[in-house]
Formats: sequence, structure tokens, C-alpha cells
Amino acid sequence: MNEIAEFVALVLPAMVPFVLAAQGTVLSGRAGVFNVSQEGLMVLGAAVGFLVSYSVGSNAVGVFVAAAVAGLFGLILGVMTTNWRLDQFIVGLALYFAALGLASLLYRVAVGTTLEPPLIPTLESYPIPLLSKIPYLGEMFFDHDLLVYTAFVLSGLLFWFMYRTNAGLRFRACGENPRSADSLGVNVARTRIVASVLGASLVGVAGAYLPMVYTGTFTEGMVAGRGWLVIALAFLGGWRPQYILAGAAFFAGMEVLALRAQVAGIGIPHQFVLMLPYIATLVVMMFAFRWARQPRFLGQNYDRESRLAG
Amino acid sequence: MSVQTTEPTPSPAPVAAERKASGLLWMTGSYVFSVLAAFVVGAIIIVALGYDPVRAIESILTTSFSTSFGMVETLHKWVPIVLCAYAFAIPLATGKFNIGAEGQLLVGATGGVAMGILLSDLPLIVLLPMVLVAGILAGAVWAGIAAVLMVRFGVNEILSTVLLNFVSFQLIDYVASHVWPDAGAGHPATVPVGDGARLPGIGGPPPIHVGVVLALVVCVAVWLWVRRTPSGFEMRAVGANPRASLVHGLRTSRLAGLGIVVGGGIGGLAGAIEVAGVHGKMLEGMQSNFLILGIIVGLMARGSMAAIPVVAFGIAVLEVGASSMQRTAQVPVELVLIVQALILLFLLLSDVVRRRFERRVR
Repeated sequence: MNEIAEFVALVLPAMVPFVLAAQGTVLSGRAGVFNVSQEGLMVLGAAVGFLVSYSVGSNAVGVFVAAAVAGLFGLILGVMTTNWRLDQFIVGLALYFAALGLASLLYRVAVGTTLEPPLIPTLESYPIPLLSKIPYLGEMFFDHDLLVYTAFVLSGLLFWFMYRTNAGLRFRACGENPRSADSLGVNVARTRIVASVLGASLVGVAGAYLPMVYTGTFTEGMVAGRGWLVIALAFLGGWRPQYILAGAAFFAGMEVLALRAQVAGIGIPHQFVLMLPYIATLVVMMFAFRWARQPRFLGQNYDRESRLAG
Repeated sequence: MSVQTTEPTPSPAPVAAERKASGLLWMTGSYVFSVLAAFVVGAIIIVALGYDPVRAIESILTTSFSTSFGMVETLHKWVPIVLCAYAFAIPLATGKFNIGAEGQLLVGATGGVAMGILLSDLPLIVLLPMVLVAGILAGAVWAGIAAVLMVRFGVNEILSTVLLNFVSFQLIDYVASHVWPDAGAGHPATVPVGDGARLPGIGGPPPIHVGVVLALVVCVAVWLWVRRTPSGFEMRAVGANPRASLVHGLRTSRLAGLGIVVGGGIGGLAGAIEVAGVHGKMLEGMQSNFLILGIIVGLMARGSMAAIPVVAFGIAVLEVGASSMQRTAQVPVELVLIVQALILLFLLLSDVVRRRFERRVR
């Protein structure tokens, strides 16, 4: 029982980057903007979040600046794909490279090459009064840092917005059938751009969370493909916020297990243990991809002047 | 309006020629504009960071051409870049994104190094072809996993190729630290391959390895295949209009899978050439940033197989210049990645300008 509680308490923070980035992907994807620069935005968010936190001395400021910088990339993506109708994958890839370059450049300029990297304090946990006193459950769910609670509350809010409000219905229409949304007076271009900005800034926060919880410092390989796993997660979750949570729990569980197995040393070389999350994702995609739903206009630009159907 | 109707309609041939000429003008103009604009932004960043922009840009542009050593280094960089660009561009001809050139390169290197170590006593004439073929096959099989997942199970090829990259990192780490480890290297690396597995050099000093010639052969072969054979035409048809190709009886998903496998084979060849020509062994991190550079080149060439070697050479010049810029002007080498991404973005923007302009003229 105690070990299970300990495991769950480790999985929850590990879920946060997946949840935040995947909900960001879903947010922009449901409006029809398929952002493929997640990996780059997470690296950039990690670098910016770390550097700002280090120089200002406040993790909260770091999180907000990371969100703003990533949001700027989302704005570029949104404008280039909706107003100018450039291919979403190609713009996304170009932004991915730009974000990677910018992240390393900023870190190199601000810190340089040192043997002792600067450290920031990791996020403190805020036990929720009363609830955290419940045996086991309190330790598992109610004794974490603020971003853990934020990630879950945000998922709930996103679900409520998308499926329980009129605005959410109009918002989803932009990704499913922009022509009919347009004919009913929804501003498709503006919706897509706003969704792209907000989605990208969530990805930036997800990146900023990594140095603030795991290492206290920034390394170039620290995102380690999470940005790509997040896109897989969005597909597997059928682009619906509620299933994203379950998927994120699976990914985070794999991550914690792989780390545990590596520490415990279970006979197999650790390289194969580290491969496991990626292979498991491939296997799950093999079975789930056919049935997973996705927005009909995902990754396609809407041209209101076009005479072709759709 | 009346003026237009009274004018004799021009015969189609001059119009076509005119359109071709204006297309060529637009193309060169957009490349020149994008490169210049990206360098201007790059210079602004350099100034903002407090370095000397003139010195930095000078060393980026001249390093490759000022010494024979710089030229050889550029050509050696050009080989993996151009091959990774084909690994990306050939599947793109069918509309599929292969983001896995990195993994295909590493697995190809593993295949090549396995031959080079296991059969190290064989003479060059036997061993070297085996190393290269093993690299091609290993890369093709690795990409084949993604192709099968796409054709049989409908898995998005972007995700499967990317995730296979991360698997391949661990795979070569295992090979380099458990199967054929070089204990004295201080860094995960395999023991060196036999002499028969090394690509011979030509000219010099310093000599250029024969891989450069091999890459040129690949360039010609790919161009011939894509532009001059039925299967190449079918691939381009699938990319241009998958629905129409399907209606006309092409096996669209199979052709798309074939594109990924061939791209993977070329990526694998890049790995084998890196082993046989440059390192003489396999080591962690040998993939460098060839994946990103290959994608950048593939996107900049905009679907033209003939443009890829030229664009790749330009990128190789930038890459070699960047490391010398870091030495002479202390500007971090990462700046060049931003400049390259900017060139790409400006190229895309020039397409937008062109589209608007042509709409207005018509």
C-alpha cells in the first residue's frame, strides 16, 4: 500500500508536462491548427523558464515568461497558416528549428560553458489543508506543487469549455467544418490564431516545468522526445481533454517505471529499459490509430475564397 | 476592357516561355531575398548580443573557400547532409514526412560497423561494398518499420519515424558500450573497423574520401529515378493528387511506403559512409544535427531533386563557417540554426508574396 502511494505520488508530477503540452496541442488542434513544433517549444520553454527564474529569482515569473515566448511562436504559426495559408507542417518544422536554436543560443549567451551549471530551487509543494491529511490519498494526490493542481484543473476547464458552452461548440466547429462555422458568423481566422497562441503557451509552460522539478538546471537533451510523445498522446486521446489525462498517466507511469528499473538494476541493460516508453507508444499506436478520432480539418488551412467543397 | 478584347490573343508558346522566365526570376529572386533577409536578422542578433557582425559573417562565408582544408571539410559535411535531405525529400514527393533520417543514419552506421568489425580481415574490394550495402539495408529495414506501421495500421508516419529515432539512440548506445566497446575511448564508441572497411581518399593533402563521389552518384540516380522512370512518376503523382492516383489504379499507400523505405536506405548509406569515411568506428553523437539540416535542405529545395545537392552545399558552407565563426568572433554556433530557420521562413513568405502578386496581375 505504501509503495503504491509512493508510486502515484511520483507519477503525478511526471504527468504534468504531458498533460499541459497535450492539452495545448488539443486546444490548437481542435481549432484546426496542428502544431508540430512541440519538441522545440518545450526546449525553448525550459531554457527561458530556467534562465528567467535564475536571474529574477522567482519561478512564477519564469513560468509566465516561458508561456509568453512560446505564445509568440504560436502567434507566428497562427498568422502564417491562417492569414497566409502556408503549410502547417512546414511552418511548424521551421519554428521547431528556430526554437531549438534560440534555446541553445540564449543558454549559451547567458551562462556560457561552465563545469558547474547554475541551479534554481525546485518548486515547493503546497499540501492542501485537510485533504492532505487523509491517509494514503493525501500523500498521493494532495501534496504536490501548484502546477500539478493547475494542470488538472485546467484539463477540467478545457473539457467544460469545449463540451458545455456555446463558445466551445463554435470553437470546435472551426476544426471540424470551418466553412459552415464561417457561414454562421464565427470568425475562423481569429479563433484559430487565439487557439494557436494559447496552445503554444501551454506547451511552453510544460517545458518550463522540467527544470523546475527534475534537475533545477537546463540541459539540451532534457525534453528527450516528450514533445513528440505529446503529439502521439493527442492522437491516442482522440483530441479530447478527458482521455488525454488517462493517456498522460500511462506515459508518466512508463517514465517512472523505467527510471525505477534503471535504479534497481534488473538484469537487462538500461538502454533497453530507456527504449521502452517509445516502443510502447509505437505498439499502442499500432492498435489505436485506426479507431482514434481526429478533427476533420486538422492540419488543413481554410480558404474562404476557395470554390472547392469543404 | 475594350483594349484587351481588340488585342490579338498571344500564341501559347511565348506565354509559356514568358511564364517560365518569370518563374525562374521569382525563384532566384526569392532565394536571394531570403538569404539576405535572414543574414540581416542574424546580424542584428549578433549586434544585440554584443559581438562583431562583420567578422562573424565574413568567417561564415569565407572559411570553406579560403583553404583547401576548409573545402575538404565542407565536402565531407555535404555528404551526410545531402543524403539526409534525400531521405526526407523522397518520401515528401509522395506527401509523407520522414523525420527519422537520424535513426536511419545511426542504424545504417550500426549495420556498416558490424560488417567492418566482424569481417575486418577481408580485403577492401570485398569488405567495403559489404559495409555500404549493410548500411543501406539496415537503414531501409529501420524505415520499413515505420512504413509497415503506416501502410498496415494507419499510424501517422511523422510520429513513428520520430519515435524510432529515440529507440535508435539507445540501440547504438548499447552497441557502443556492450557489444563492441572501446574501453579506452572515454565516450561510448565501438572499436575501429578493419582497414578494408575504410573509404579510400583521393587528392590531397588533405584527401577527400570517395564517399563524396558516391553521394554524387546517388544524386544522379535519385534524379533519374524520380524524373525519368514510371515508378518515379507514379510517386510524384501520389504526392500531387492522392485521390486521382487512386482512381487511376495506383497503389498509393504502397508507393508512399516505398518512398519511406528508399529514403531510409539512403539515410542508412549516410551512416555507413560516416563510419567508413570519417570516423572509422561508430560513436555516440555521430548523427550530429544532420536530421535537422537534411529537413531544412529538403524544404528549401521545394520538391526539386536537382536543387538538393546545390542547397545542401550552401548549408554545408554555413555549417563549416559557423564553427569557425565561434572560434574567430566568439559568436555561439547555434546562431546559424536560427539563420537557417529564418531562410526557410522567408522563403515561405516569398511564396505568399508571389501568390498575392500573381492574383493581382491576373
